[in-house]
Amino acid sequence: MVTQTPFLLALSFDGLEKWARIAAGFAKPAGYTLLITTLGILLGLGLGLFFALMRISKVKPVQWVSKIYIGVIRGTPLLLQLLLIYFGLVQIVRLERIPSAIIALGIHNGAYIAEIIRGAIQGIDRGQREAGISIGMTKWQIMKRIILPQALKRAVPPLGNQFIIALKDSSLASAVSIPELLLHARQLGSSSFRTMEMLLIAAAYYLVMTSVLTFFSTRLEKRLSVSDHRT
Amino acid sequence: MKDNHMIEIRGLNKFFGKLKVLKNIDLDVRESEVVVIIGSSGSGKSTLLRCTNFLEKSQKGTITIDGNVVTHKSKDLHIIRRDIGMVFQHFNLFPHMTVLGNVLEGLTQVKKLSKNEALEIAEAMLEKVGMSDKADVYPSFISGGQKQRVAIARALAMNPKIMLFDEPTSALDPELVGEVLVVMKDLAREGMTMMVVTHEMGFAREVADRVIYMDEGIIVEQGTPEEVFDNPKNERTKAFLSHII
Repeated sequence: MVTQTPFLLALSFDGLEKWARIAAGFAKPAGYTLLITTLGILLGLGLGLFFALMRISKVKPVQWVSKIYIGVIRGTPLLLQLLLIYFGLVQIVRLERIPSAIIALGIHNGAYIAEIIRGAIQGIDRGQREAGISIGMTKWQIMKRIILPQALKRAVPPLGNQFIIALKDSSLASAVSIPELLLHARQLGSSSFRTMEMLLIAAAYYLVMTSVLTFFSTRLEKRLSVSDHRT
Repeated sequence: MKDNHMIEIRGLNKFFGKLKVLKNIDLDVRESEVVVIIGSSGSGKSTLLRCTNFLEKSQKGTITIDGNVVTHKSKDLHIIRRDIGMVFQHFNLFPHMTVLGNVLEGLTQVKKLSKNEALEIAEAMLEKVGMSDKADVYPSFISGGQKQRVAIARALAMNPKIMLFDEPTSALDPELVGEVLVVMKDLAREGMTMMVVTHEMGFAREVADRVIYMDEGIIVEQGTPEEVFDNPKNERTKAFLSHII
């Protein structure tokens, strides 16, 4: 009976070089992961800001539209949304896998980002708005110049958190056969009978990418705190 | 003090839900007049000030600012507000802008002045309140008294016809009150029309042309500082003054 060589032993048996080559082969799938995550987040940010502003609108129907969007998206699984958009939109417009996954991720994260930004906006002291009013600024000037800069600064930590979630959630795009990290690991695993090893390599890639994200969000947080008194 | 009315308030009524905060207020403020409003908390004095600037919508009554009848339905409220500077109890400086940035904001965004024109005015205003040396500092690094002086400079930069002060020294440590009052006294001397809600009776006595005592949403008594402080006619005024002096 042939038993599979354990991972660590395999390293010594097969040589580091071979494993390095395999691990390097994960770079391209990781690129797909990064691509759909980055574009998905950018779309999500745009949608999030838009729906956050709608959510705090004084016009009731406008509020409702935002509430319904947030409710529906947060109330259904991302995997289902991915499949719905991939199989559903394909019937209406010609849509490739990757754009459809980006749209799904964007719409999904948009709902969460909308809530993050709404919370941050509503957390800004009422006096800020009043000060803007008292020097004659219009509603939009106050939003753009006074409220949003402060709100977005406060939103950086939860947004960073959301981006990390988005990066990991992008693995669900494997369900529509996008050759991203997780799908690549599983395919390679089953063809080489080395599932464990391949999954661990994918895990390492995810960890590196989320660590980089954490690093930059922490740095941004620090840079934005120049106006804060350090106590 | 001149004879023309800068502010005319007629029949002003304000409710918060069922609570009647202002009851049929009539009040005229002449150009260059300094009116100090005193009263216990909940008397409606801050609300009166906020209604004058349309930060609060009144339910009934008219407010005339420098000859223009204004209601909260007026389309160009934000234009009228440029003529009315407001100073808040909690300063409300923009924390993400430097001291200079705070003063520049209205000049560049509202008045759309060029950078150079705006800078010239902003620097002059900071000079006036003695805050030039802190121009590039963020508000969180300066004291409450300094913040309030910057807030005054920010309001003055818009070249308002009227300045409203809503308890400008109430949030300050006692030793910082003086520096703010000095700035306000200078303004009064220069002929600014001012409405001041305050508990600083010394300031009222020294600077006010008229003192108004409010209680439960009405103007109970008004007159010169001497009349109100030394010979109050109304029992409620007497009771209030005996508590605080």
